[in-house]
Amino acid sequence: MPRDTGLIERRHLLRGAAALPLSFALGQVHAAGAARIVSLGGALTEVVYLLGARSQLVGTDTTSLFPEAALKTAKVGYMRQLSAEGLLSLKPDAVVGTTEAGPPVVLDQVRSAGVRVELVKADHTWDEVQRKVATVGRVAGREREATALQADLDAQWAAVQKAVAAATRRPRALFILSHSGSPMVAGTGTAADALIRFAGGTNAITQFAGYRPLTAEAMASAAPEVLLNSTQGIEALGGEAAFWQRPELALTPAFRRKALVAMEASHLLGFGPRLPAAVRELHTRMQAITA
Amino acid sequence: MSASSLHPGYPLVCDQLGVGLPGRPLLATVHARLAPGRFTAILGPNGAGKSTLLSMLSGQRAPRSGSVSLGGRALSAMAVLELARLRAVLPQETAVAFDFTVQEVVEMGRFPHRQLPSRHEVRIAHDAMEATGVAHLATRGVNTLSGGERARAHLARALAQIWEPRPDGATRWLLLDEPTAALDLAHQHQAMALVRRWAVEQGIGVVAVLHDLNLALRYAHDTVLMGAGRCDVGPTGETLDAAAIARVWGVECSEVHASDGTPQFLVAAG
Amino acid sequence: MSGLAVVQPFPRRVPGRLSPRAALALGLALVLWAFVWGSTQGAYAITTAQLWQVLLQAVGAVPAPENAPEYLVFVNIRLPRLLMGVAAGAGLGLAGALMQGLFRNPLADPGLIGVSSGAALAAALTIVLGSYFLPDMPRTLGSWSLVITAFGGGLVVTALIYGLAQADGGTRIGLMLLAGVAVNALALAGLGYLNFISTDEQLRNIQMWLLGSLGGARWSAVALVGSLVAVACGLGLALARPLNAIALGEAQAALLGVPVERTKRLAVLVTALAVGAVTAATGIIGFIGLVAPHWVRLVAGPDHRVVLPCSALLGATLVLAADVVARTIVKPAELPLGVLTAFIGVPLFLAMLRQFRSKV
Repeated sequence: MPRDTGLIERRHLLRGAAALPLSFALGQVHAAGAARIVSLGGALTEVVYLLGARSQLVGTDTTSLFPEAALKTAKVGYMRQLSAEGLLSLKPDAVVGTTEAGPPVVLDQVRSAGVRVELVKADHTWDEVQRKVATVGRVAGREREATALQADLDAQWAAVQKAVAAATRRPRALFILSHSGSPMVAGTGTAADALIRFAGGTNAITQFAGYRPLTAEAMASAAPEVLLNSTQGIEALGGEAAFWQRPELALTPAFRRKALVAMEASHLLGFGPRLPAAVRELHTRMQAITA
Repeated sequence: MSASSLHPGYPLVCDQLGVGLPGRPLLATVHARLAPGRFTAILGPNGAGKSTLLSMLSGQRAPRSGSVSLGGRALSAMAVLELARLRAVLPQETAVAFDFTVQEVVEMGRFPHRQLPSRHEVRIAHDAMEATGVAHLATRGVNTLSGGERARAHLARALAQIWEPRPDGATRWLLLDEPTAALDLAHQHQAMALVRRWAVEQGIGVVAVLHDLNLALRYAHDTVLMGAGRCDVGPTGETLDAAAIARVWGVECSEVHASDGTPQFLVAAG
Repeated sequence: MSGLAVVQPFPRRVPGRLSPRAALALGLALVLWAFVWGSTQGAYAITTAQLWQVLLQAVGAVPAPENAPEYLVFVNIRLPRLLMGVAAGAGLGLAGALMQGLFRNPLADPGLIGVSSGAALAAALTIVLGSYFLPDMPRTLGSWSLVITAFGGGLVVTALIYGLAQADGGTRIGLMLLAGVAVNALALAGLGYLNFISTDEQLRNIQMWLLGSLGGARWSAVALVGSLVAVACGLGLALARPLNAIALGEAQAALLGVPVERTKRLAVLVTALAVGAVTAATGIIGFIGLVAPHWVRLVAGPDHRVVLPCSALLGATLVLAADVVARTIVKPAELPLGVLTAFIGVPLFLAMLRQFRSKV
């Protein structure tokens, strides 16, 4: 990725002065980690709190809603549309985010001001969570806590995987993102698709990738046994009763048993430290409701 | 000195000019030599092709057949800007976009001269407005004026366009399409007297499409009479007689004489 | 026009209008004020004393300590953004005035010739299809891939609309208007389809691009957009007197010796150049091209020799001022500039319409 905001800065560097980290000018420095961190992404913020680095956290994005304390940090806006001066006004030493954070121009400008910017690739695997833990640990100077957390999470994950593998049934599930006009459902390659597989189900939609609207007929032929939604989504519709009144759901097997599993969005799809718990809950509830 | 001194000004020559709109029947064939220093009226009933002829004389429309030439050169061979320095056209109606004032509109007439401005640029616009009697409206928006005032403002613009004599002595031409249509009685005569004076005193060639026979008889030296499939050109007094009027317009009229001896026609009712 | 003499009964001053010199002076003063104000405002706190230090360092009057944060923030982030705002506002204001002169209608807008919708369609295409063909290239507001394709898209659509308007050996303005309406609708439909097939991330990127922002301003982009807008201004200002004459109607203008076809072509080209460059770098910033020339006309009259330059100056002022609000009102986050120009522009436009109604 070409970076050309460094025009003025490079001249300074070329003058031979050592490239001192900006953190010197911005505040005190921990021996190993950044004193002031901005976290872009709910999962990364959760990791920061779990590693005990909350005192180093100076700002988060709008998707960082858990734990509650995160709501009280300074908000830098939506992670895809950041403002360079806004980020820099918090005087961070480091910024962590996923590769979805942007625009890249702004991140380049932040880098050129001497701030360390580390991005984690989001690919909807368990590895993603591990990378998030490792990155935050590295940036915050809490590698020991990170390793411990990692081990703990790995153990949780292994246990969950075992429990899921033990189940005999693999329910057909369908995740609905939003319900305006035709329902938007999750195809392959989405976070929801990954969750369904992790939780021992099969995605009723295999024909397309990404989120697409689905007609009533296609919904009927997909024949999901259980429907998944976020609690925020159900709330937006006006409650579970209103949800089941949607005409396109009437022809699905899920409708007969009112098989709906609703979980809080960032918990379900955040791909953070709560992922093992989310998968366990999803698995248990899917099995129960399709029994 | 120059070649132009051999010619007494630049006549506007129509050489077998076919007058008609593309795709419509031919209205008339005009063969005429309009002389500088004279006021030529174009008369005829509606649909005879008067405005079409004027648009060909100004170079706005290409001839259907034949040619129009100015000083020996075909209009089609002349550059737009060069032509604009030699002749000014006053159309029947001009809607002006935006809120331009009268003096701004009159100054637009000086556009062709912007690369070689006169020493008296500012005075020209003022004098042109004085000449047509709109100087007191100089700072008014032209779209807020009455029809007659608007017409006089545009006449001032046309006059400003050809205000000063050409350095090479070429004739300037003033082409007017129904200039009196919106004017009240007094201003009709003032305007016609003004352009006739310009023709006589400054050697300008004036051509005007008129509806009023009596104005033509009083002010126009020559007449181009169109209608009934033919086109007669000649001095006004000879071209316009009761027989011609009856043939072209189909009305009976009787000739009278004004107190200064100018022939006028009274149309019989019915 | 000749210079002013000491006592001149003529040309008379029009009551209620600024003279050309006063209008230009006012325009320059406004831009300067907005630039200075914008220099002092921002999410990152820089005091006036610090700003003064930064300026001295920038011109080399004072030795610069390495990596001073205020210096880097101002010189790398805020200053290019301010300059981009000037270029964007000037380009949009000038283009709006040219279009209103060309269409002889004070409600005309550069979008009529399709440059904005063409740029938007090209940007959306790049964002969506680029993920299949060039997945590693960044495709968000400010990225070079988008700047190049959006600029190209704007020019292509403008050329298409211009071509559709050719009839009888010349450009028919009425045809251009209709072709513009049709092609704009098609581009909008194309955008809708791309919205439909896009992933969540692509959709957000498209929407953010459409809302417009000066956030992608880097020195290289500023240099590119600035030079293109400067060229456009140079070419455009020469159209002032021809556009005045065209207000009488194209036929009359031709009879006055105006090269009407060439004027129309140049006006369309300059507009496409200026608006295309600005839109490619900043997304869609609306209403500046509509509002700035109208205001200038209300204050200083419709002479294009005043309206063209003052629209550029006023446009720059409006964009700078709106951007200050955009980047400080919800700091440390930032509002998209296009949202603000609409929120501010629409009520102002309606107020102007009322005034316009009573004037005519």
